Amino acid sequence: MSRALLLAGHGSHLNADSSAPVYAHAARLRERGMFDEVRIAFWKEEPSLSRALDGCDADEITVVPVFMSAGYFTNEVIPREMGLNGRKCCIRGKTVRYTAPVGGHPSLARVVVQRALEAGATGDEALAVLGHGTERHRQSEANVYQQSEFVRALGAFPEVLTVFLDQQPGMMDVFDLTARAEVVVVPLFIADGWHAGETIPEGLGDLREDGRRLHYAGAVGTHPSVADVILELAAEAAAW
Amino acid sequence: MVKREPYAFGQLRIEFDVQTPVVHGPAATGEERRIEAREDALREWVRDDALGRYRPLPTARTMRPGWYVRCEPGFSLDDALEVIYPLAVRHQRMLAEGTLRLVSLQRVFDRQSGRYRAAGKLSAAGREAARRVLCNRCVKVPLWDGETAGSKDIPCPEPCSLMLSLCREAALWEEAPPAPAPIDPSVAWAAFDEPGNEIRETYLRERSAPANEVGLLR
Ligand code: SF4
Repeated sequence: MSRALLLAGHGSHLNADSSAPVYAHAARLRERGMFDEVRIAFWKEEPSLSRALDGCDADEITVVPVFMSAGYFTNEVIPREMGLNGRKCCIRGKTVRYTAPVGGHPSLARVVVQRALEAGATGDEALAVLGHGTERHRQSEANVYQQSEFVRALGAFPEVLTVFLDQQPGMMDVFDLTARAEVVVVPLFIADGWHAGETIPEGLGDLREDGRRLHYAGAVGTHPSVADVILELAAEAAAW
Repeated sequence: MVKREPYAFGQLRIEFDVQTPVVHGPAATGEERRIEAREDALREWVRDDALGRYRPLPTARTMRPGWYVRCEPGFSLDDALEVIYPLAVRHQRMLAEGTLRLVSLQRVFDRQSGRYRAAGKLSAAGREAARRVLCNRCVKVPLWDGETAGSKDIPCPEPCSLMLSLCREAALWEEAPPAPAPIDPSVAWAAFDEPGNEIRETYLRERSAPANEVGLLR
């Protein structure tokens, strides 16, 4: 029985870097040699979600959405475009399993902590998990709070906060939410794109004037350890 | 040893140095640049056009010229072609075997939700113009629109996401026609909502031209 792992990403018509983490994780997973095939597919790039299964020879395919939260794309767009009905289905003679997104898995919390430490935090700071957030999809917000809970449960930081780019509590309020002198902000984003790479550091830079110190970490989604989270999701799906 | 003949594949030319496949990009004057036979190096190279603009559609006829990659052991010709034109070889083979599923533009529209649902409102003439303007800038043959592909062609079995995006914008333009603007090469290739975008402006010109002029613009 041959097995394929298929990473499903968003991609972009305008930003060349948006899909880079998906390619990087696929390359890492290919090197590990645990699957006969490791493939990728995107909503807005090629190969497309709708034709991705054409490229898979394996009898069993596990689709892992490389998204930070469950919501419109993972609940609606990916299943619809790929023709998936349910977390395990049969498509043209192949067994296809569809996991939860990377961002919803408890083990991603370890990556959040790693990112914080790599940004210079020592474990004495407040850690703020920064989500995109949107008033339109409450599930996206719920995912960010859930991931903050997972981080809190690890006990690596004395205080864990949740802030958002596009909803309240906003990232600019981060120092109002804690009495600690230092905060490390970890963006729960897939890529260091326009948001995580530019808008957020610029916005947060304004806050440093009051003498309190802020550490800003890279996007969680670009961390090499995300490949391990993908493997955990795939391993759990194999038991279905 | 049988000598393998060179052949064209989209904008590429595949040659063989004895048995080693060498993939050449579009011709250019001067010496060709050698691209490392590695997936990431090749992807990064073909990702941008000659103007440095991102190419979201790998099969767009915007590949930069003057380069080649030698397919060394560990990086086969199929590996290189998969990076440059994802699924193209596979779809060619499926077409030859009679297993390539075709999906029409209408079916793609029908399954949309969210911001792309609006694409389905595009008129028949708008759909035809969108196909002409976008697919003529692509090396694939749109079988989904009833065209037929030869064995050397790269088949397109289903409208791509760029086609969906263009149709969405075009449906909005039918409701509120924008003023045409001169083509501005600095505008991103797929920024169809930005005045000056080459595809947008060509589409708008086609749609505003009298029917007998449209043929001249093809
Ligand atoms: S729909 Fe047209 S532009 Fe898009 S990939 Fe197919 S042939 Fe190319």
